[in-house]
Amino acid sequence: MIAPRLRRRLGRGLLLGFFSVLLVAYVAGPVAWLVSSSLQTDAQITAIPPNWLPPEPTLANFEAIFGAKSEVVTYETRRQGDPATTRFLPSGAENLLPSLANSFSVGLWVALLNLVLSVTAAYAIAVIPFRGRRGALYAILVTRVIPDIALIVPLFLLVRALGLVNTQTALVTTYLAVTIPFTIFILISYFESIPADLYRAARVDGCSHVAALRHVYLPLALPAVIASLMFAFLTSWNEFIFALILTQNVAAQTLPIVISGFVMDFTTSFSFVNAAGVIAIVPPVVLAMLFERYIVSGLTAGAVKG
Amino acid sequence: MTKSTRFGRRAALAGSAAAIGALAATGGRAQARPINFTAWSAAVDQVKSHISAFEKATGNKVNYENFPWAQYRTSVVTRLVGNAPMDVLWVSDAWLPEFAEAGWLAPIDDIPELMKYNADAAAYCTNSMVYKAKQYGLSYYGDHMSFVYNTELLQKAGISAPPTTWDEVVQQSLRIKQGGHAEYPLLLALAIDTWLVEFMSAMVFSNGGRFTDDRGDAVMADAARGAVSTAQWLRDAIHTHKIVSPGAVETTEINALRAIGAGQAAFAIVPTYRLRALNDPSQASAAGKIRPALMPRGPRATASTTCGWIRFFGMTPGAKADRARRAPAVQFMEFFGGKDNTGSYTLQKLLLTDLGLPFCTLPLQNDADVKSFWEKWAGGSAVISQQAASAQKKDVVAPWFGEWNETSNQAWQSVFLARATPEAATTAMARKWAELKKG
Amino acid sequence: MQMFRGLSYDERNAWLLVAPVFAVLVAVALYPIAYSFYTSLYDIVLTRPWRRPFVGTGNYERILADPQFWIAVQRTTVYTLVTVAATTILALGVALLLNEAFPGRRLLSALILLPWATPSIVNGLMWKWIYDPSYGLLNALLLKLGMIERYTVWLGDPAKTLFMIANAAVWKQMPLAAILMLVTMKAIPADLYRAARVDGANAFQRFIHVTLPALKPGFMLVLVYETMISIRHFDLFLIMTQGGPGDASYTLSWQIYVETFRSLKFGLGAALSYILAMATFLLSWMFIRMLGRGMEK
Repeated sequence: MIAPRLRRRLGRGLLLGFFSVLLVAYVAGPVAWLVSSSLQTDAQITAIPPNWLPPEPTLANFEAIFGAKSEVVTYETRRQGDPATTRFLPSGAENLLPSLANSFSVGLWVALLNLVLSVTAAYAIAVIPFRGRRGALYAILVTRVIPDIALIVPLFLLVRALGLVNTQTALVTTYLAVTIPFTIFILISYFESIPADLYRAARVDGCSHVAALRHVYLPLALPAVIASLMFAFLTSWNEFIFALILTQNVAAQTLPIVISGFVMDFTTSFSFVNAAGVIAIVPPVVLAMLFERYIVSGLTAGAVKG
Repeated sequence: MTKSTRFGRRAALAGSAAAIGALAATGGRAQARPINFTAWSAAVDQVKSHISAFEKATGNKVNYENFPWAQYRTSVVTRLVGNAPMDVLWVSDAWLPEFAEAGWLAPIDDIPELMKYNADAAAYCTNSMVYKAKQYGLSYYGDHMSFVYNTELLQKAGISAPPTTWDEVVQQSLRIKQGGHAEYPLLLALAIDTWLVEFMSAMVFSNGGRFTDDRGDAVMADAARGAVSTAQWLRDAIHTHKIVSPGAVETTEINALRAIGAGQAAFAIVPTYRLRALNDPSQASAAGKIRPALMPRGPRATASTTCGWIRFFGMTPGAKADRARRAPAVQFMEFFGGKDNTGSYTLQKLLLTDLGLPFCTLPLQNDADVKSFWEKWAGGSAVISQQAASAQKKDVVAPWFGEWNETSNQAWQSVFLARATPEAATTAMARKWAELKKG
Repeated sequence: MQMFRGLSYDERNAWLLVAPVFAVLVAVALYPIAYSFYTSLYDIVLTRPWRRPFVGTGNYERILADPQFWIAVQRTTVYTLVTVAATTILALGVALLLNEAFPGRRLLSALILLPWATPSIVNGLMWKWIYDPSYGLLNALLLKLGMIERYTVWLGDPAKTLFMIANAAVWKQMPLAAILMLVTMKAIPADLYRAARVDGANAFQRFIHVTLPALKPGFMLVLVYETMISIRHFDLFLIMTQGGPGDASYTLSWQIYVETFRSLKFGLGAALSYILAMATFLLSWMFIRMLGRGMEK
């Protein structure tokens, strides 16, 4: 005879456990396969039945990525189809790590600038009663309804006129325009859940808007702010079409472009591409793990007394 | 190209503003300006090494940018519309009329340093670079569709020689299928891909058919001369004989390569350059077993034919018109599309020996290294040379190719999916062609 | 400065705080938007540069009369509906799960970031490989579980194509949606739950009457964002199917790409973009009106 409370808790635990396992399988399953295939050779990943685990794990793909040196390529140093070696890896592998650095740098700038620009604007629109609030919000959102494909030619013209082709600046500015509307939207939605009494109390106390923002709203809205930062960083990290058009070589090319170069290159090795994919996932996940506690286990509702 | 509309003027304004700015930045000094070369991400190391040699030999600097092939056209069109400073670029033969009409390529007929290489080049290569009686570049890669077979699978099924007609392909495939050696013996990459038009052209030509006649009018829907019998054959292969997988509609050229290399197909059609990878043990488990055979014939064809294509170096009108840019650009095109300073076709040979890319230069085919290459990777060059001699260029290359190709791809897929009859599909293609030609 | 004279302290501050954002957007977004609208009013075909007549609404009329356009509308509608619905429901479930305290929750919430961190090109290729009819994992797995008898075609089967692509999209987009829901959940005051418990409500009733209504802003965020991006999804279509097989995955977004970069009809492509943009705006506006609170309503 199990006490009702214990039974309830067991039931709850089982339910949670079951769904947790499902969730892990769903999100991590494909990535686990990605990792597994990156440790195999091309011949092994096309086997039937498939090799769930690498039969003889090989780090050849990762060695190629990390060991690739960017040097002046001459007839002597060029990479060729060498039958004697057991691996055939695409040229351009040496671009992967620099592009990783580019992606990282661009993502960080976009996240930071989003923090500065979006938080202040969202505060203004959500909290301060002024004419044209609604119009401002819609105006900001409207900039994102045009499909990206339609924007790339004029954007290229604009960037070229400013002499910024193939620079990180062009990417950062473009991604700011891409991410700001939605981060503002997220923040507005969250700011509004904070009771207006707090705002009025702060203003009565003589706080300026900036002070109210800093001392009252930001701390309470931390989960939403973190979510916005993550959104800004990851959107920049993953973005493809603008980076394709605005950059032309490894000086500013980001990770997705370099990876797509491997795939469409006719000397393609899918296990290598998957290895590159694994590397593409690592930095954002590490960053996000550092910040997730602010979202999941962060400030709970107790701070917002109704 | 007249700039009578504001659209053109705005773009020109942006371009000239940038140009003036650039000029001011250099202080107006006459400087060795780098040559801007745009290509897709193929043979990157080979191109880079050749660039190093070029820079050392001529003292010019090269600005090399490359994009993934699947996005190359998008990137290059954007840049050309945006008047980006491009000098030399890689072009696919299918785009020649479009790019020429849009004013993005300059004819080289008046540049004797480049035209002299035509003497060494195969006829279909040179013809592929000619539009409206003007030539627009120098080729570095010329290839054709090869019919390949897996020696081991044929042996297991007790077949002594590869098929010579498409009927034999069906018979041999059925034998292999019934023997349990391969479920879908004929592997075709039928996905909507840049290669679909070449695959289909090869099959149509080999069946003795054509898409357009010599006047450029559509004959693809003509039961006697066109693509109808090919479409019928393919539909039967997938749905009646079941020798081609229904999943072929999602198989792209690269995925097909994987499958052939894994030894899952007894027969396939591949670009010849793929033979290098297919017989490489580090890339394919079926290495050493993939051999080319002459493209099978249809009942109406008298000899084996296939589809050939080229890629070439083109020059922009901006580079040609600008006195400072023209000489280095011409030098570049000669070094890369013709002979370099050592007097040999170094790049073409490099592309072949490293990556298996065939070339257009006829004298080079007698080179000892070239011969031993084909011996090693394809079991000999006889079939390949013979097939290359019979390759026809695509007959649908026109200024409206891009738009027509979309309709054509859809029509072919509707045949593969058995959603349209061969007659209906080819009629749709023909109608679109006529409509675009008139417009 | 003249115009600031008539504004209150509040209004002045508000506009000052909003100004930098507008500056960025005007600098980067205004010109391209205006340019593409302008282009849509002309009949511009790049292979015919000498003739670019003004056609006003001509492009729009041509599009509405084109049967291929309506096919694309149908494809886009199905795809967007499926993707948005699946993402929202899954995200709600995941957020509910993560809102509970249990050991391993931190690890779980870190793991759900994996799909979000995957660049769309890797995502597309990975799923394309998983769906492969010859050696894909999906076939192998389902065969092993006895759910199918033989290897099936997934992506290449026109009846399934949109759903397979949607699955790849949902997999990647769900984490962000879940986080947005979770953030909104965190803002629900604990008092409401306590009051409901005092009134005798069980877990399910608490969910229906406390959680769901308070999640309206979360739903709004997710629905607006997911709709906006799903309706315009392009990367996955480029990598996985290129509009095929046949026209099974020929969405509006794909049509824009084809018209602009393959047929080189810039005017028509721009007009199509504007039609898609209007649809996107209408849908977003609708969601904001329905679910927003405070100033949005």
